[in-house]
Amino acid sequence: MNPLAVRAGVWLLSVPILIAALGFGFKGLAAVDSSLFFTWGYFLEVLIAGLLQGVMYSLVALGFVLIFKASGIFNFAQGSMVLFAALTMVGFIELGLHWTLSFVVTVGVMVLLALAIERVVLRPLVNQPHIILFMATIGIFYFLDGFGQTIWGSDIKVLDIGISKDPMFVAQGVFEGGLLINSFDLVAALVGAVLVAGLAIFFQYTRVGRALRAVADDHQAALSVGIPLKTIWAIVWSVAGIVALVAGIMWGSKAGVQFSLALIALKALPVLILGGFTSIPGAIVGGLIIGAGEQLAEVFLGPLFGGAIQDWFAYMLALVFLLFRPQGLFGEVIIERI
Amino acid sequence: MDAETRTEAAVDARRPGPARAIGEVLLEVKDVTLRFGGVRALSGVSFDIRRGEIRAIIGPNGAGKSSMLNVINGFYQPQEGQITFKGEVLQKMRPHFAAKNGIARTFQNIALFKGMSTLDNVMTGRMLKMHSTWFEQMLYMGRAKREEIEHRRFCEEIIDFLEIQAHRHTPVGKLPYGLQKRVELARALAAEPEILLLDEPMAGMNVEEKEDMCRFILDVNDEFGTTIALIEHDMGVVMDISDRVVVLDYGRKLADGTPDAVRANQDVIDAYLGVSH
Amino acid sequence: MLYREAGQFKTSYAADQAIFPIRQDQIAIGLMAAVAVLGVPALANEYFLETIFVPFLVFAMAALGLNILTGYCGQLSLGTGGFMACGAFFSYKLATAFPELHIVIVFLLAGLGTAGVGVLFGLPSLRIKGFYLAVATLAAQFFLVWMFNKFGWWTNYSSSGVISAPPREVLPGLFITGTEAGPVTKYLFLLVFVALLALVAKNLVRSRIGRTWMAIRDMDIAAEIIGIRPLWAKLSAFAVSSFYIGIAGALWAFVYTGSVEALAFEINRSFQVLFMIIIGGLGSILGSFLGAAFIVLLPILLNNGMLAIDPTISTALVSHIEFMIFGALIVFFLIVEPHGLARLWQIAKEKLRLWPFPY
Repeated sequence: MNPLAVRAGVWLLSVPILIAALGFGFKGLAAVDSSLFFTWGYFLEVLIAGLLQGVMYSLVALGFVLIFKASGIFNFAQGSMVLFAALTMVGFIELGLHWTLSFVVTVGVMVLLALAIERVVLRPLVNQPHIILFMATIGIFYFLDGFGQTIWGSDIKVLDIGISKDPMFVAQGVFEGGLLINSFDLVAALVGAVLVAGLAIFFQYTRVGRALRAVADDHQAALSVGIPLKTIWAIVWSVAGIVALVAGIMWGSKAGVQFSLALIALKALPVLILGGFTSIPGAIVGGLIIGAGEQLAEVFLGPLFGGAIQDWFAYMLALVFLLFRPQGLFGEVIIERI
Repeated sequence: MDAETRTEAAVDARRPGPARAIGEVLLEVKDVTLRFGGVRALSGVSFDIRRGEIRAIIGPNGAGKSSMLNVINGFYQPQEGQITFKGEVLQKMRPHFAAKNGIARTFQNIALFKGMSTLDNVMTGRMLKMHSTWFEQMLYMGRAKREEIEHRRFCEEIIDFLEIQAHRHTPVGKLPYGLQKRVELARALAAEPEILLLDEPMAGMNVEEKEDMCRFILDVNDEFGTTIALIEHDMGVVMDISDRVVVLDYGRKLADGTPDAVRANQDVIDAYLGVSH
Repeated sequence: MLYREAGQFKTSYAADQAIFPIRQDQIAIGLMAAVAVLGVPALANEYFLETIFVPFLVFAMAALGLNILTGYCGQLSLGTGGFMACGAFFSYKLATAFPELHIVIVFLLAGLGTAGVGVLFGLPSLRIKGFYLAVATLAAQFFLVWMFNKFGWWTNYSSSGVISAPPREVLPGLFITGTEAGPVTKYLFLLVFVALLALVAKNLVRSRIGRTWMAIRDMDIAAEIIGIRPLWAKLSAFAVSSFYIGIAGALWAFVYTGSVEALAFEINRSFQVLFMIIIGGLGSILGSFLGAAFIVLLPILLNNGMLAIDPTISTALVSHIEFMIFGALIVFFLIVEPHGLARLWQIAKEKLRLWPFPY
């Protein structure tokens, strides 16, 4: 039997079972503790909202994965790139450009930024230990946060690109009152899916994609077979910049463009841990699990702990998960050799 | 044969040495099988190492030599088989237990603590011999200070022995390759091991460095009476300095015996030179 | 010509292993101690003591702690803020529940408590490494701050969530916390306390335990094969590190600010301390102090500098530019000297040995 098919089958089977088990668990809790509220319709509604929220996390996580895959760098600045991209886009719109034109200009800005990062930060740090590069990206994180807000100001801005935010009611026949779904989130999910598919194809089937994977494995070896490291890094940071822009647009039009965007992006970290740092599907699945998990926990467990457990639940979930599967869901098992 | 002349100096150094007593079995590997997923790295390998001897493990690349050493010092756990060390039968060896019981080793790709000085590396090798408490170390008083000085003296002797005095305070990351290998040997010796596992101690060295290393290995064996198990690709070296040789190929034991017997073994010749099927 | 150890022969290993083996260093450190104890309180005014020297010492303590974990043991942590919060709230609860307990004991106990929390969150370090661990420590950061913010018990049910340090004296009549505490007393107390703990840290890192940590940092597999137990080594680093960071948090709340809320220990605090050890020097006790001084002084200088250039500049803009300069400096330091100010200092000393001759 094809092992891939088996794995897919196991996944497809286990997901509904897990969801049902969670539902019954919460139902049981609600029966014991009267402060909790549970109906199946409400459960599904929260679950779907969480999944769609998870897609947004995945979008941010995707940027991390791209750079990690291609350079082994854990790019802490991805969050501030999201903020910076969104700020720049809004800035150009405020200058009077149409949003499509502004999008194109911002893509240009992100590419320029990628080139600058490659030239100023990465090139002098080739072959340094990963931890040094990681800290350098924390430096970039701070710089971009300050830079973006110095140029564009720190007020909360509205980003509207004309996606409807009307709530929709579906499955009204099955559940009382139907399920409430935000149409904006659906669009976001669609955008995310397209982006992921595109990137997966890019990585697996193009020459540049193969070069990217080679670079990720070993800088020196890749250089020695003639892969132009500088170009590859510039490309990958550009792509990550564009992914950040898309994520920024989505988050920005949902929650407004503001400083907290850079911190929301931190939630992408537990997503990565769940999914594995090097896996694009992992970023997606991890995002969905974190998004759904934290929504469900907040709504159905939060009252037990006094609420606002969203702040840390994702991290704890990832932490507990790590104890059982240190390499993440889709990460590669590393056999230690010596 | 060229390899022969290369190590001639080493051999000469050995012959006039005191008659070495090769004693009882110190370590016995029995029917060890090690698998990674579907890959068999070792299948049913058995051999023994006697006290005081120099035992070589040879074989083509990928034969499972390093895996064998990793099993002996507990870094890998074999699925089947057992290891008897000093009469104690162990299903599994743990690295910590191995170290505590006097198994030290060096590595194929140097595994030194690069941020630390030569002296600190050697002192770290001695860490199981130190017993001062936390409190004493916090205050750097009493036993902690005494131990630091006492063990420093011992480590300095090893540093003298291996002729790396000049690099005592240099961070090892900055030393050239050959010296790093020597520091690694020093670190292993600092633990005063009963058995010393050397994984390709001469890989990537030039002739002079190889000669030096051979001399050090023989001296260690002579002077401290340390049992040595080594992996080496240079056949000249292996045939000259080892007492017995075990040959691995594709994770199986191919031959076991004195250098001359192994050299004459048809299976070994086939494995090294290839055979037409 | 001034800085040369020629003619100073060591005849014992004990002399060679002293912290300051060279006579000029001993003299310099003696002078520095004299200036710190006598000169600074006499010359510096209240403003300087309160805004520079006191926070410098508190941060130096936190940086020491993080440096033990990250610089010496190689375990990257982003949870410093959370552990500082632990120290602050633990000592608050202790100080208010047992008013007769001496304040130094309160600090030490709070440090021990934080060490326990640190060990708990350090447990995953056995199975996960590097960035994975960094993210795991974020769990500690967010969870701890949330906990102290959420549950009124920690603040003795104060409505604002702010804790105020009760007045306590270190010696009869010498208040170091509360409104009666003078900046000079605070400063001198911190100076002695931090110097002693720094000495303890130095002793630890030059003894067996320190070498164990560094071995784990540099090559964990080889360390294990030498006989070092990774779990034990890592957890002890977490414990000692959290002990220092916890005390730093307690000092922050009690001595530096006097009153504090959980949100003061947010993730930015973690980054701030991380920057200190990067800029100061990973794996260097001296570096922790240099880095703390740098990070404390820089915003003050930037602020005053920018206000001097343009007095109408908005505070928001100042803080944004501060962010930018911080970020740029981090990158700059990593490129120029990944080992930080401590390494630069060492290079300077080596140059000085030869001065005025080129070699």
